[in-house]
Amino acid sequence: MKTYELQDIPQPNLLEGMFPYSLPPLIQFEGTIKEEIDGTIVEFDPGEVTTRDIHITDTTFRDGQQARPPYTKEQMVKLYEMMSRLGGPNGVIRQSEFFLYTKNDRETIDACRALNLKFPEITGWIRANKGDFRLVKEMGLKETGMLTSSSDYHIFYKQNQTRKQAMDQYVEVVEAAFEAGVRPRCHLEDVTRADLPGFVFPFVQKLERLSEQVPENMKVKIRLCDTMGFGLSYPNAKEPRSIPKMIWRLRNECGIPPERLEWHGHNDFHKVHINAASAWIYGLNALNGTLFGFGERCGNPPLEGAIIEYVALKGSLNGINLSVITELANYYQKVIGTQLAPNYPFVGKDFNTTRAGIHAGGLRRFEQIYNIFDTAALLNRPPRVAITDKSGTDGIALWVNDFLGLKGDERLTVMKVAKIQRWVMDQYEKEGRMSSITDQELEEQVKTNLPEYYSKYRKN
Amino acid sequence: MTRDEVSQQVKKITARELNLNADNIKESDQFAVELGADSLKSIELVAAFEEEFNLSVNEEEALKVQSIGGAIDFFTKLLNK
Repeated sequence: MKTYELQDIPQPNLLEGMFPYSLPPLIQFEGTIKEEIDGTIVEFDPGEVTTRDIHITDTTFRDGQQARPPYTKEQMVKLYEMMSRLGGPNGVIRQSEFFLYTKNDRETIDACRALNLKFPEITGWIRANKGDFRLVKEMGLKETGMLTSSSDYHIFYKQNQTRKQAMDQYVEVVEAAFEAGVRPRCHLEDVTRADLPGFVFPFVQKLERLSEQVPENMKVKIRLCDTMGFGLSYPNAKEPRSIPKMIWRLRNECGIPPERLEWHGHNDFHKVHINAASAWIYGLNALNGTLFGFGERCGNPPLEGAIIEYVALKGSLNGINLSVITELANYYQKVIGTQLAPNYPFVGKDFNTTRAGIHAGGLRRFEQIYNIFDTAALLNRPPRVAITDKSGTDGIALWVNDFLGLKGDERLTVMKVAKIQRWVMDQYEKEGRMSSITDQELEEQVKTNLPEYYSKYRKN
Repeated sequence: MTRDEVSQQVKKITARELNLNADNIKESDQFAVELGADSLKSIELVAAFEEEFNLSVNEEEALKVQSIGGAIDFFTKLLNK
């Protein structure tokens, strides 16, 4: 047994190398990850992720739109513009894919192109048939995704094909893409439930042989679609559900480099974000997501979560403007009319709101105790307190000081707000109230009990 | 202000705020234990002392005071600074 001795130090050790507060907490690794493949131990270096050109691709307007009422053209153009600012000039949000089927789809692409933004690059999405490919050519896109279902569930029961018929059809459309000078991106639908050695790897190797005839920037990209959310990031999970094994075999046995591999997940088993982030770590570069995770059934990797993960892995913003996440959330809620759950990370109304008095006390004394990072500076969302019978006088002081914009020595003490806290407690103890106190009610209390502060500092 | 004067005021305010008889309040009485002041009442008491003595106190130091005698010493010191 190893003995640990208490180190009674005069100053706190806040582990600021990992928790800088000016950025989301950094994700740091020590050593390699070991995975057993075909009876042999292979090693992954998770630190490699800091040197690879990992990035995010967006499917808000494709998969994201399959799960909700359609966006208007104006909404899509605005979201596209905000995504561009969020990802920044270095293209951390590298691409966004669009449907091409309706007149509205095509007009939206034209309107987004008219903004003349470098990132995200607009790509298409089609079924793997030559008729659909005509749409890509007409729109003059440089890259398109195409649905190339890979499990027998899809090949046999959805497409009524044999594996050979499916592969021949997919290859025909890929060849047509090459002929037209459009880069194909094959979406291996349902890959985590597919026969990998019996269909997926032979298909991918065939694509690699086809890619030998085209320049590097035209070679086939492979999107790994975990269509039903079956993927597992756990070390030594069995294939085909194992994300590490799948990526390792594609890179080492099929020769696909990380820059041509992409992960597209679904959240049916609550694993969507961690699976996507794990795919980055286990060796592919593109993480496909949607704003706030909207997508078929339980949704896709939340794009804003991926952005935070990117910063945490890379240890820098690389041109990302995180405050646009708050703008996007406001736009969804106020303009589009889509509400986000109050406890949704980074954007929900309560994501950095505390209701517990003891937490409010901690926040008042040292914000970092109960705030995940500097949410005021990075997201334009200072930590808040919701007032109930549990939030205490500390909670009232925090709320009032935030409301009045008081900082440092200007901040009011708990004694100054004690009358407001008495009113709050009377609401619950004497009036039998069951709901939280609203901001409007608290403002009235500030007016009544702190009139001189209200008239001097009140926010407009 | 002398300590006796502060003592009279502290006991008077405490009795008023906690609905007690000032004559029964002793310097050894603890606000939370003998006098039954919960955390909010303790804060309201300090607020009442601030108003009575017309001064603002340091929150953390004031809320560390546990007893009537401690409060008398705390305010005597502040008022004679």
